[in-house]
Amino acid sequence: MRKNRSGSVGFAVAACLAVTATGCADWGVRSEQVQAARVAQPSRWGTSSVFSPANRSLGEGVRSHFGIRDEPQQPFPFSHQIHLAKELVCTDCHEGVERGPRAGLPSINTCMVCHSQIATDRPLIQQLTAMQEQGLDLAWQRVYNFTREAHVRFEHAPHIKAGTQCSTCHGNQAEQTVAVRAVDMDMAFCVNCHKQKQASNDCLTCHY
Amino acid sequence: MAHRWGMVVDLDACTGCEACVTACHAENNIPTAGATEAARGRAMHWLRVERYWEGDFPDVKVKFKPVMCQHCDNAPCEAVCPTYASHQTDEGLNAQVYNRCIGTRYCANACSYNVRFFNFFNPQWEKPLQLQLNPDVSVREVGVMEKCTFCVQRIKAGKTTAKADDRELKDGDIQPACAQSCPTGAIIFGDLNDHESRAARLTHSPRGTKLLEDEGTEPKVTYLQRQSWNEPDTQ
Amino acid sequence: MMPMDRRRFLKVTAITGTTAALAGCGNPENQIVRFIPEEELVPGIAVWKPSVCPLCAAGCGVIARVMDGDAEVFRKGKPGVTRMALVRKLEGDPAHPLSKGRLCVRGQAGVQVTYHPDRLVAPQRRTGDRGTGQFTEISWDEALSLLVERLDAAVAAGPAQVAFLSRPRPGRRHELVTEFLRRLGAPAPITFEIFDDAVLRRANELSFGRHQLPTLDLAHTRYLVSFGADLLGTWNSPLAHSVAYGAMRHRPGGVRAKFVQVEPRVSQTGASADEWLAVRPGTEGALALGLAHVILKAGLRPAAAAGRAGLLVDGWQSGLPAFTPEAAERETGVPAARIERLAREFATYGPAVAVIGGASLAQTNGLAQALAVNALNALVGSIGTEGGVSFMPQVALPVAQPRVLPEALASAAPQVLLLDDANPMFSAPPAWKVAEWLRQVPFIASFGSFIDETSVLADLILPDHSFLESWVDSAPESGAASFVATVAPPTMRPLYDTRALPDVLLDAGRRLKQPLTPAMPWQTFEEMLQTAATAEAAPNATAAARAAAPPAPTAWRAPVLDGSVGEYPFHFLPLASQALLDGSLAHLPWLQELPDPLTTAMWSTWVEINARTAEQLGIADGDIVEVTSTAGSLRAPVVISPGIGPDAVAMPVGQGHDTFTRYASGRGANPLAILAPVAEPETGQLAWAATRVKVAKVAEADGSLILFAGATRERPDHTKGRG
Repeated sequence: MRKNRSGSVGFAVAACLAVTATGCADWGVRSEQVQAARVAQPSRWGTSSVFSPANRSLGEGVRSHFGIRDEPQQPFPFSHQIHLAKELVCTDCHEGVERGPRAGLPSINTCMVCHSQIATDRPLIQQLTAMQEQGLDLAWQRVYNFTREAHVRFEHAPHIKAGTQCSTCHGNQAEQTVAVRAVDMDMAFCVNCHKQKQASNDCLTCHY
Repeated sequence: MAHRWGMVVDLDACTGCEACVTACHAENNIPTAGATEAARGRAMHWLRVERYWEGDFPDVKVKFKPVMCQHCDNAPCEAVCPTYASHQTDEGLNAQVYNRCIGTRYCANACSYNVRFFNFFNPQWEKPLQLQLNPDVSVREVGVMEKCTFCVQRIKAGKTTAKADDRELKDGDIQPACAQSCPTGAIIFGDLNDHESRAARLTHSPRGTKLLEDEGTEPKVTYLQRQSWNEPDTQ
Repeated sequence: MMPMDRRRFLKVTAITGTTAALAGCGNPENQIVRFIPEEELVPGIAVWKPSVCPLCAAGCGVIARVMDGDAEVFRKGKPGVTRMALVRKLEGDPAHPLSKGRLCVRGQAGVQVTYHPDRLVAPQRRTGDRGTGQFTEISWDEALSLLVERLDAAVAAGPAQVAFLSRPRPGRRHELVTEFLRRLGAPAPITFEIFDDAVLRRANELSFGRHQLPTLDLAHTRYLVSFGADLLGTWNSPLAHSVAYGAMRHRPGGVRAKFVQVEPRVSQTGASADEWLAVRPGTEGALALGLAHVILKAGLRPAAAAGRAGLLVDGWQSGLPAFTPEAAERETGVPAARIERLAREFATYGPAVAVIGGASLAQTNGLAQALAVNALNALVGSIGTEGGVSFMPQVALPVAQPRVLPEALASAAPQVLLLDDANPMFSAPPAWKVAEWLRQVPFIASFGSFIDETSVLADLILPDHSFLESWVDSAPESGAASFVATVAPPTMRPLYDTRALPDVLLDAGRRLKQPLTPAMPWQTFEEMLQTAATAEAAPNATAAARAAAPPAPTAWRAPVLDGSVGEYPFHFLPLASQALLDGSLAHLPWLQELPDPLTTAMWSTWVEINARTAEQLGIADGDIVEVTSTAGSLRAPVVISPGIGPDAVAMPVGQGHDTFTRYASGRGANPLAILAPVAEPETGQLAWAATRVKVAKVAEADGSLILFAGATRERPDHTKGRG
């Protein structure tokens, strides 16, 4: 800003501010204020009243950017090893995997299909039974996941159709109790297999 | 032969009802800007219906024109994106890869059609409006550009279903949300490489024009001009 | 908010069953309790379930895309999360004869009703003064007891002490309500919707024996003349007619149909016309008679061809001597030569069909206008023929005709008012004194899902499910050639502690001290719908109507408008907006953000003014004007439009809500609030387009007009202002 102009610029800025401050219409403003007031309140369920892809803190943002995720803590010491030894297969509980994008995490009802009869004397099963009676479900934590910002839309069904084994990406569950991240599922892992199988590596295959 | 997705908009059938606009919002998790941001020009209508007046009262005409990303073969947005977030796929779609986008907004600057929208803020849905969100489509965060994708999630779903059923894709299997909802059937989507498809045939209609053709963007959306009524010759 | 510097571990405790949460800085949302899902769901797979869209009266069938998702809910009073089937999107039902797989803009937004943040989630009882909006949540048991207590007292006091106010929505639900009232000894329900076409129904009853809205076979027509009917936008059954219009435009074989729209302001429908004619408001009927005069004079059709419909028009038998092209030009402003040409075209290029609706009928001469167009249709043989007008077969439901609001206000003084989603406080003219009438009703119970200007006056709230959570039905009165009845079960479970209105009435009916006489035969609405599915369709009895002698012919007269031309120079045209209709959809954010098709305005009210008029008044785009009638005044920004003449101003209806959720409250202005209480004399319907106003600039543009688009002209002419 040249010196001789600064005064008029300042005046212009002040004038603009004055006009906008006084010129705001009554309507529209009240709605925005009502809206802001509501957003500030917690929802009726005691949680945040808005849903947003925003990261809640800088720390969360940094972790999300670098793909750092804590080990999931499961609410229940479920053992894959035991169940697979009993000749259950993956799709008995993870039903959606052949039909659609997600494998799914079973609800307690799925457990109780068998455990209403089987092993009912064990304390863990008794805990499970009590939870079901109270209408509570197990809050399983996802083990394999991508950050929201990766915008990955993975679909299980085409991979199952192509003959991919669950263990290829999820590790050998027969060696796991509670599922852990046995496979480091970074993009290179996916791309390498796609190259081998001659599936498309165009970005839009997975990121849309 | 590889698919080449394109679209035809019949301006003779478009009544300006904007069913396509809201169908697109519902399908693609488009955030609602609200009055304040909309006043700043930040409403994100991936598909908009432009309205032009001709003449003056009472000899007026109105023309409606639904405009969405044209998925140009020679896209100006692709040339300027530094991170390959905007690029053309081998099926002719102009891809917008959100995780590559670093928000330079140069693509929106370059786009001749003004069909690219930037997330200046993190979108918010007041609960429980977020329960409506489509799980097959990303929720975009602040700093990324977004635009019409020709409902790429529906294209993928169509291909996956056809493969699962062990059959070829037929014309009409894949309908973007706008084409599906349009009451008059003014939006026609299809594989331009399938010469039997409705979209491919209509692309060659004598009524067909493209938007801003002289800019050399080679858009893949053909607009069929409105026709007029002429009194038939009577004997 | 989660503290980010420590990990939190919650182990599974013993049999108290608290859920374990996660470690670290996981999503705090997951820390709330998770409930067992109440349904079997395959993850990630969509199923499609049918439903019926209730957002306008058309009754189109839709399908809902239902997928699993985590929803926050209350179970036994405790908040938590559960996996449940959630509707993500609505589409037209491909099997439905009205929607044929397509869906209009409002239907697409319908999914936001269920997930609206301001939806009422549980019964409530008023705590503060009436109208202050202070309510407290109560249980259904308490709510039903309160309702039954009041109903008992009202019934004991006399037969007319219970009133029910709703929108006109024909179907089984309305039948149940009517039966409930009848068996209670109470009068038939009162229905009110500002843009309801009661005048047209009455005209069709007189002309053709059908008290019903018409269906136009656009797919096969060759010449369509619409006198102000926004049939592709907001009027009658817009989706079905748009689908048919699409068929008309895509018709193979190359014979192009001609579409002529006649109105004082270019509507969204008019924008698609091959020929658009400006006409003086309220003179559409004179134009129709002018066309008929030319057809008769040229011997293109005999007068007798119009049958009964012709006999109802004064002067028909003698060839309409008062409606020569020159006389019609003087009346309507349409040049005589054009009238001659159009008349010849209309009679030559058949099948031809004419239609009238909207503001054309909201005049003191509305009935005569409709009778004129009916006669014109009958003259060219378009009644019941391909490419013409038909009346959809209807079930002869044994229900009483609903009472109209002005009559009911005059005659009714109920002790209990049951309110189902009608909002006369917003959409009835203040001169009708709806507010005063409501104020003296001792007890008001509201079933709607939202607090609006009318339901805020309730003493008890018994929130209904949203339509996606309910058994729904519709019996459309127009939109297809064949009989259609649609019944659909809920597409998803209720999100909240709401109950279906018909089931609440049935429940209340069983608890009354003095039982319903006779008792209602169904336990639930679902049961009623199952039994109704086997009822056979019966055509409306037209034979008796036709046999009766026609009443004396009606003469077309110019409309009488409120306000003198000198003081109030402009004809005021409120119009149903594409996004918000009559304001009942103003709470849906997608519709608020939808750019208006002709002005691209969002989140706004505006006044459309002709460019010359604006220049004379010194008004530029966006300036704030005060619009004043004899009944009141309002302020709104201006949009200068090439689509309206110098003698009129138009305003969309929809904004101006005082109380209607966070998205609509305190936004814009309501043109219905300044309507003069002019009525069409025979039906008593409000002539909502019969008000004159004056317009004056009061302030510069202040940013309250929010437009999406830039240019208004494709090839901007820089000498003509904006563009």
